[in-house]
Amino acid sequence: MKKEGIHAGSSLVRADKNAHVRKGAPSIRPHAWTGLDLLNGRAVPSLTIVLRTKGCYWARRDGCTMCGYINDADQNASGPLVYEEFLGALSRYGEEFKIIKVFTSGSFLDEDELPTDVRDAILYDLKDVPKTIIESRPEFVTFETCEEIARINRNIEVAIGLETSNDYIRKNLINKGFTFRDFINASEAARSSNFSIKAYLLLKPPFLTEAEALRDAVQSVRDAAKYANIISLNLCNVQKGTLVEALWKKRLYRPPWLWTAVEVLKQAAENATIICDPVAGGTRRGPHNCGTCDRKIAEEIRRFSLSQDLASFKVTCTDKVLWDFVLEFEEFSYGVPLVP
Amino acid sequence: MTRQFEVIQRDGAARLGRLRWADRELSTPCVLESKDELELLEEMTEGNAELDVEVIKDPEDVHGTNVNADIIILAGALRFEDDPRGLSRALIKIKESTNPDAALYAPTLATPQNISMLIYAGVDIVDSVLINVKAREGYLLYTDGEERFDEIPHPLCLCDVCRNIDFGDGSFEQKTAIASEHNRGALLAEVHRVRAHVRKGTLRELVEARCRTTPTLTAFLRLLDEEYNYFERRSPIVRTATLLACSQESLDRAEIRRFSERVIERLHKREGILLLLPCSARKPYSRSRSHRIILARLYKLRPFLNEAIITSPIGVVPRSLEVMYPASNYDIPVTGRWTCDERERVIEQLARYIEVNAFDSIIAHVDGPYKAICDDVAVTLGVDMIHPSDSENILSSHSLQCLEEIVWDLIGKHSPVRRDLRFDYLRDLADYQFDKDASAALFSRVPKIRGVFPRYYASDRGRRIVTLVDRYGTLALTIEGAKRYIDRHIGHYCVWIDDFEPKGTIFAVGVLRADPIIRPFDEVIVLNDNTIAVGRALMSGWEMETSNRGAAVAVRHVEAR
Repeated sequence: MKKEGIHAGSSLVRADKNAHVRKGAPSIRPHAWTGLDLLNGRAVPSLTIVLRTKGCYWARRDGCTMCGYINDADQNASGPLVYEEFLGALSRYGEEFKIIKVFTSGSFLDEDELPTDVRDAILYDLKDVPKTIIESRPEFVTFETCEEIARINRNIEVAIGLETSNDYIRKNLINKGFTFRDFINASEAARSSNFSIKAYLLLKPPFLTEAEALRDAVQSVRDAAKYANIISLNLCNVQKGTLVEALWKKRLYRPPWLWTAVEVLKQAAENATIICDPVAGGTRRGPHNCGTCDRKIAEEIRRFSLSQDLASFKVTCTDKVLWDFVLEFEEFSYGVPLVP
Repeated sequence: MTRQFEVIQRDGAARLGRLRWADRELSTPCVLESKDELELLEEMTEGNAELDVEVIKDPEDVHGTNVNADIIILAGALRFEDDPRGLSRALIKIKESTNPDAALYAPTLATPQNISMLIYAGVDIVDSVLINVKAREGYLLYTDGEERFDEIPHPLCLCDVCRNIDFGDGSFEQKTAIASEHNRGALLAEVHRVRAHVRKGTLRELVEARCRTTPTLTAFLRLLDEEYNYFERRSPIVRTATLLACSQESLDRAEIRRFSERVIERLHKREGILLLLPCSARKPYSRSRSHRIILARLYKLRPFLNEAIITSPIGVVPRSLEVMYPASNYDIPVTGRWTCDERERVIEQLARYIEVNAFDSIIAHVDGPYKAICDDVAVTLGVDMIHPSDSENILSSHSLQCLEEIVWDLIGKHSPVRRDLRFDYLRDLADYQFDKDASAALFSRVPKIRGVFPRYYASDRGRRIVTLVDRYGTLALTIEGAKRYIDRHIGHYCVWIDDFEPKGTIFAVGVLRADPIIRPFDEVIVLNDNTIAVGRALMSGWEMETSNRGAAVAVRHVEAR
């Protein structure tokens, strides 16, 4: 970690601390889509449902520098309404999925965000699905809670936004507010109920150079692999109303190169089962390369996620020399991405 | 603290310097090229290094002059690549709130196209990172822009790299390597050009040309020109090179605005008859054919007249200041067509000039666009202007005859005081150079003036007071002149030095205090308890006071006090 360059703690950051005040009304409810996901090494159809709760308590209180999901929350959400929406989504898509992901824009296990009766009802409804994935911050993944929900549904995977194994980066650059130790505790609690654990890692938090981001992600995969069954590499994109967006607008941030994501997967794949969905890949706000190779590489990353086969990566492009140079020299700009 | 950066030469905010670094010595402006150098500098930002390197992350957050470093780094300078307003603000903010003898480094921002402007604004150190990025993006860089190398049918330039290479062959990697080399050559060549211009004092002329190649750089120059104080504080009062006013931006040069302001604010009030004449290509004006003809005609009448010359871009030049830079030494494209901006500036300045003085009558012996300008001013101010030439050529015998008759008439009417024209030069130059009423202190009575135009010198009771140095158009003081001046203008244009006998060059480290109004090339009075000396300032007064390195004053005469 460089101590110089533009950094968390500079007035620039403080000035934008309140950048993620939510605006605008929610649109479609709830948000749901289908896709393909890994189950026991095979690609199977999956359904994702994002419930509109009142949102992540951390985002409401403080918030992470890259997260704009609070924009999708609904201040007036009530338990019965959320459950009704869940049933609506289920009936819309049917139940023929091997994997169903039920997310909120916060923590599924936070009783304040999602009342326990609604939580239990949802998990009960899904008890015969081979795998139900829920998301939560680690402070809610306790032995007690895990035991409670294990009595209702045994096929749960708990996904936790660890982001990085580096406490300095998570605390100062992401502002996540928990430690790697907290994650380990949550992992142990979930595993004691035979749940599987997924760790989300963030590729390229703000204030890191491309090379630092690469090193951090590779190290984080290695560290987190011991406590997670599967790792999901999230390529940082620029979400509305976030500090990352404010930095991006000042040319102080760019999302990761897709080459960097490929490199992380190549270097870390032997350590873990690792999946990656390059959301917004190839756009200015999403992970991108030079523009000509982006679509093909994003596709290769998705293919790799389902096969875990490094031979998925075949595409090459002239911008790789530029990416190599960026890795080597970006630190000398003292805080600005060399290529926007 | 040992200072490791020394400024050798200045041209406005631009500087040539020497940076002693590790066991190396770099001449600035310089380009950091190797990764070793970049890493070394980065390590030094951690402190406890040979050089004191300060990183400024947020220029808006720099307070006072508490930063005192050898090298200052504008962190993230590249974010201003397309933001000329942000860049000019950041650079000026940093320069104005840090010690002047620190070298300023703008990382990963330089290209052959913008390097002259960065140095012009006050940057001392750049690097070759961005030109290497551009090479890998497929660009060959030139001072006038960039070109994708896959679109070039054959080498577009004849540099050593390009001349011998056919870009058609080879892999992309090979091509980028060649482009890197080309870009490096282009950047270094441009830095070399900039150095040459700084040495001559003509960097402004170069950047006015370079900024044309892109709207961003033109905007950058215009925004910098809004920072009048920043550049005025660093601009020498004279230079030997000719000021070339070839662009719209030339009108906004600090030297021109300073000249105009001093004419209005520093000169004593004039009365009687004002004769306005058009400018001439040859300088000083009175050496030109047109002025010689007119002045020969008015030979005996001139001591009763106040002459002033109307010109773009300076506005109004009183005859007595025609030997002073920039009036003495500028050139403009002459087509007979004036732009609106030019016209407006001249009208504004002429109106101000007439307003602050108290002329009884104004004769405008001008034609063409000059006449239109005078008419505008006459209407605006509600004053009468007499046009002897009456839309004829001003040099026609009829025009000249009318002029002579009118002047005779007005002299009869106003019976103005007869003045010594040579004294006019010395008096106005004294006020222009040493501020309002300086002439009253220097010449408590009319001195004896000798010498051939413009090399006049004045003495009183057998003691020399000032000499007009024709090369610069400035007055040089004798010790006697200095004493007379400081008797009435305490502290003005003075440099107080430590307790040593000044000889040859005084360095900034020996300067205790200095009048902040002093500019490079100003005539200054050097004082301590035992001695008084006169000499020429080599840096601005505020800079002498806050710097620890560099030559401050070139001493000419010394005397015990």
